Amino acid sequence: MADQRSAPATGTALSEREPQELPTAIDRYEAPDGAAAPAGPVGAADLVEPAVAGEPAIAEESVVAGEPAVAPARRPSALARRARRVASRAATKSGAILLLLAAWEVLPRIGVFDRVFVPPLSEDLVVWYGLLLDGPLPEHLQASLIRSLSGFGLAIALAIPLGLLIGWYRPVADALTPLLEVFRNTSPVALLPVFTLILGIGETSKITFVLYACSWPILLNTVSGVKTVEPLLIRSARSMGLGPVRLFQKVILPAAVPAIFTGVRLAGAYSILVLLFAEMVGAKAGLGYLILDTQSSFRIPEMYAGIITISALGLLFNLLLLRIERRFSTWRTT
Amino acid sequence: MTTTAVTSKIGIRDVRKVFQVRDGGEPFVALDGVDLDVREGEFLALVGPSGCGKSTLLDLVAGLTAPTAGEIVIDGAPVTGPGLDRGIVFQQYALFPWRTAQANVEFGLEAKAVPRRERRERARHYLDLVGLTGFEERYPHELSGGMRQRVAIARSLAFDPDVLLMDEPFAALDAQTRESLQEELLRIWDKTGKTIIFITHGIDEAVYLGQRVAVMTSRPGTIKEVVEVAFDSRAGDLRADPAFGEYRHHVWTLLRDEVAAAQVLERKAATARG
Repeated sequence: MADQRSAPATGTALSEREPQELPTAIDRYEAPDGAAAPAGPVGAADLVEPAVAGEPAIAEESVVAGEPAVAPARRPSALARRARRVASRAATKSGAILLLLAAWEVLPRIGVFDRVFVPPLSEDLVVWYGLLLDGPLPEHLQASLIRSLSGFGLAIALAIPLGLLIGWYRPVADALTPLLEVFRNTSPVALLPVFTLILGIGETSKITFVLYACSWPILLNTVSGVKTVEPLLIRSARSMGLGPVRLFQKVILPAAVPAIFTGVRLAGAYSILVLLFAEMVGAKAGLGYLILDTQSSFRIPEMYAGIITISALGLLFNLLLLRIERRFSTWRTT
Repeated sequence: MTTTAVTSKIGIRDVRKVFQVRDGGEPFVALDGVDLDVREGEFLALVGPSGCGKSTLLDLVAGLTAPTAGEIVIDGAPVTGPGLDRGIVFQQYALFPWRTAQANVEFGLEAKAVPRRERRERARHYLDLVGLTGFEERYPHELSGGMRQRVAIARSLAFDPDVLLMDEPFAALDAQTRESLQEELLRIWDKTGKTIIFITHGIDEAVYLGQRVAVMTSRPGTIKEVVEVAFDSRAGDLRADPAFGEYRHHVWTLLRDEVAAAQVLERKAATARG
């Protein structure tokens, strides 16, 4: 029942958001470890301040105590200020997560949740570790990774060139836009049965499904990236005698790179999201299968182990793509 | 000095430009019967009321669009398209944000297939000419407006065009930056001997920069009068020179009626739309 309820939710998340909207939501994620951090959660920092207040005081004392005669009064205080800033930032960044983990550990123990259904975090982690060392976890992880990476990779290879083509030739764009809109607003998850009917329940069907779901964000962002290139830049390049091919290569393509990367990053998240669903519906291996299987056979800590793995995998993937994206678009002003 | 100094570099002959309006409206006549000769090595300032087709005229000379009637010749040969014998400097800089200052200046040289090493040297040379040594590796967003426009000027100079077309290049800058860039532009012009067409809506700027100031009428734009500007000496504060004031006043008088006419046109267009 639980898995069935989660399905439509995934569907909406995939289909209803505008491609333009999502980047901003994700850009905010950059704040924690990026240069943009100070501009970010000001309110949050203020909130955390009192909780940390004790820490800097201790730091200051210990520094002063360490080198009493030598250090002028100013240096330790500057050091302490820095320490306080770092501590406060670390607290701001990890506060909410630590709170969640603490709740996960404590609430089952004091009986707010049934320990059988929500075992404390530490128990889940122990089981997770066991599964990882000599359990089926690596095998499931590998199965999932191969599927999502293949689908994701194929989507990149297919959707970027197609998007460039559609964006560049206005008649093609005009002709295809209504169709693209239809598909974009149809949840890929709704189409999974179709994939199963046509391609069976094997790997082909799952990889194609991931490919399909990942293609949309990449395709649509690439199209809009190409279409929204500043016309003045095109004029400027044309005035320097650039023909269509070189114009595309030297102006359109580099200008569209950030938009393309936003699409790729979104697709990265989708590749795990939708695969999980496919694996829950019909598979003999993979993390989605692991989660559903352990749930139905009442191995609850193992189920949580699967969920933790998925969560970590998603985070890691996004982080990796962010890194790559940043390398390719250092020139972006925002 | 030589007789070639007074030959015509750019000839604009009875040029007319009409834009087809979408949704079957009346065709839009931007320019009609424009006749203008620009001499070799001349600095010509072009002023006119807003919407008079100054930028359209520049586009035509650049070869980005073709005239509906009439022709434009450069060195006697008709313009058939854009080319590296003409460089444009736009008001909004039009720098490529993903390229550093250096790489932006190299852009035109790449189009001209100049070898990499020479590209680098020439880009450095022209960045130096516009006073941007030490900023080669900065991206446009890391530069001020004035610096960006300097990069754009360096980019246009780097591929060594005969003609520099400038479309209100200093309009977006603050007054001080504008004045210093005007001075520098004159210095560069003096040094390189380019033929420059400089569009502006500032009368002061036109009189300060131009050897001649061409005044355009309101739409459909045509050349109303070409004013020769000559000072006995450009030393000191030229803008305080009584002769400067006279030229300024003359151009202002020429423009006044045209600006009024342009405003009537604008109002008419606005009421038609509303």
